[in-house]
Amino acid sequence: MNAPRNDADIQQSLFEKRQKIYPREVHGRFARLRVISIITLLGLFYALPWIDWDGRQSVLFDLPARKFHVFGLTFWPQDFLLLAFLLMLAALSLFFFTAIAGRLWCGYACPQTVWTEVFLWMERMIEGDRIAQMRLDNKPMSWKKFRIKATKHAVWIIFSLHTGATFIGYFVPIRELTSQIMTLELGAWATFWMLFYGFATYGNAGWMREQVCIYMCPYARFQSAMFDDDTMVVSYDAKRGEPRGRRRFDDEEKRAQLGDCINCTLCVQVCPTGIDIRDGLQYECIGCSACIDACNDVMDKVGYEPGLIRYTTQNLIEGKPSRIIRPRIVIYGTILLSLTGLFIYIAGTRTPLALDVIRDRNQLYRESRGMIENVYKLKIINMDEQPHTYSLSVSGIDDIRLELEQAKIRVDSGKVMALPVRLLVREDTLTSRSSDIEFTLTATADPELSVSEHARFIGPMP
Amino acid sequence: MKKLISDISAIPEPYQFISILWLSFLMAGVATGIFFSVIDPMQLEACVDFPEMGRIGAYTTGFFLFWILTAASSLLSCYFILPRKGSGAGDQSKADQA
Repeated sequence: MNAPRNDADIQQSLFEKRQKIYPREVHGRFARLRVISIITLLGLFYALPWIDWDGRQSVLFDLPARKFHVFGLTFWPQDFLLLAFLLMLAALSLFFFTAIAGRLWCGYACPQTVWTEVFLWMERMIEGDRIAQMRLDNKPMSWKKFRIKATKHAVWIIFSLHTGATFIGYFVPIRELTSQIMTLELGAWATFWMLFYGFATYGNAGWMREQVCIYMCPYARFQSAMFDDDTMVVSYDAKRGEPRGRRRFDDEEKRAQLGDCINCTLCVQVCPTGIDIRDGLQYECIGCSACIDACNDVMDKVGYEPGLIRYTTQNLIEGKPSRIIRPRIVIYGTILLSLTGLFIYIAGTRTPLALDVIRDRNQLYRESRGMIENVYKLKIINMDEQPHTYSLSVSGIDDIRLELEQAKIRVDSGKVMALPVRLLVREDTLTSRSSDIEFTLTATADPELSVSEHARFIGPMP
Repeated sequence: MKKLISDISAIPEPYQFISILWLSFLMAGVATGIFFSVIDPMQLEACVDFPEMGRIGAYTTGFFLFWILTAASSLLSCYFILPRKGSGAGDQSKADQA
């Protein structure tokens, strides 16, 4: 095997001017897997906002109304902790799967890979295969070349705009959005973000492609920290393949001297990041396994065993024992499991009711007829799917009296109510200038649905 | 310690762009998410004299303000990594060696 490249080489190669990469089309087991993954993910992305749930868009991160709808569940800014938890879980899962099987995410699920594949497919439909594309790019500009290129970019741009509009459809109701686009009445901000996302799609999937993974992706930078010698990675079996070389199939003597690699370079031609997997594990490899498919195809044709390039671990390649269960996996797995459990617990015991107590800032307290009065503003948020009537009580001081301006506290689903409240206490029951009190709000129909909130009652010095 | 880059032109342009604008873009996104999940721009509008722009407008403006700040921070970091021009630093150690 060639010596692994050192940091300076990588640094140097990163700074070189980019040569356009023309990945060759590939067929095989992993290519099929990737296509299935792409169709599923993009299908979900483009279809989800159009599917309704309980008479409402199934997934809608309604930023203008400050609430997120996910299949009948409604999340509020108060649920921010849950969202942060979810992001942490996503990051940990990424670590876990990277430690087991390398860059699965990059090869099959990352939006960058998924959209790039679609753009490559469109490019192939319009410009032809790899050879035709290279030939076209080497030709001087002509009417025909201009027409082909213009068609490609027009198709890319239309697809990108559709992508941008769909993306905005996750934040603004998509049916309204579509009719606003049709009648050219879309607001300036939404238009801006639609074009922004559309442009990002066009630029990243059409032009930048593998450069996003190599230069811009933070995960690509630190993913090697999750790797060890037992991680499944796409590897070239140098022991079996070397010395590589072209051969005639009737030349038995030469065949016997050479390894299994016939040096057809197909593995390099299919690589979307343009590397040679035979140089060993490289930072640029996104684990898409296109080279595995290409090589197996060739091995089959020349009558060798498949798997010269395959998913395997560094230990197995070196003939050492390899294990899946190891401290790294156990640690990642334990943290992942316990956080998932905690998340389910928090999400499951979440009360769809919130109460905020704000003291009236104008006046600390008021005295009237031997009574001390404090004024509060209560903010009640009904995060449940149905309207509720609530009863309010307060405790902490003997004989504390609660006065409301309205007889019934009724809040509609998903609404916020501001409720002014007066508390009256006999002056002689106060033992200190500031006393702890507690408001409790309970749904009349469901005593389980209840929240409490602390506040302070201020009076004169006793 | 690794040798510091002595000249900004030694850093290729795409890297200058990425290390300043792209990373600050990511951080501005995080900051916007946290800030606006705690603070409703409508309440902010009530106490500060902002031009009317609606929530989406406020989120967008907020995001770009954060981006300008984070990008400024990245830019200053990149700038301060470079040694000062005409600096006398290091002269003393040369004198010590002599």
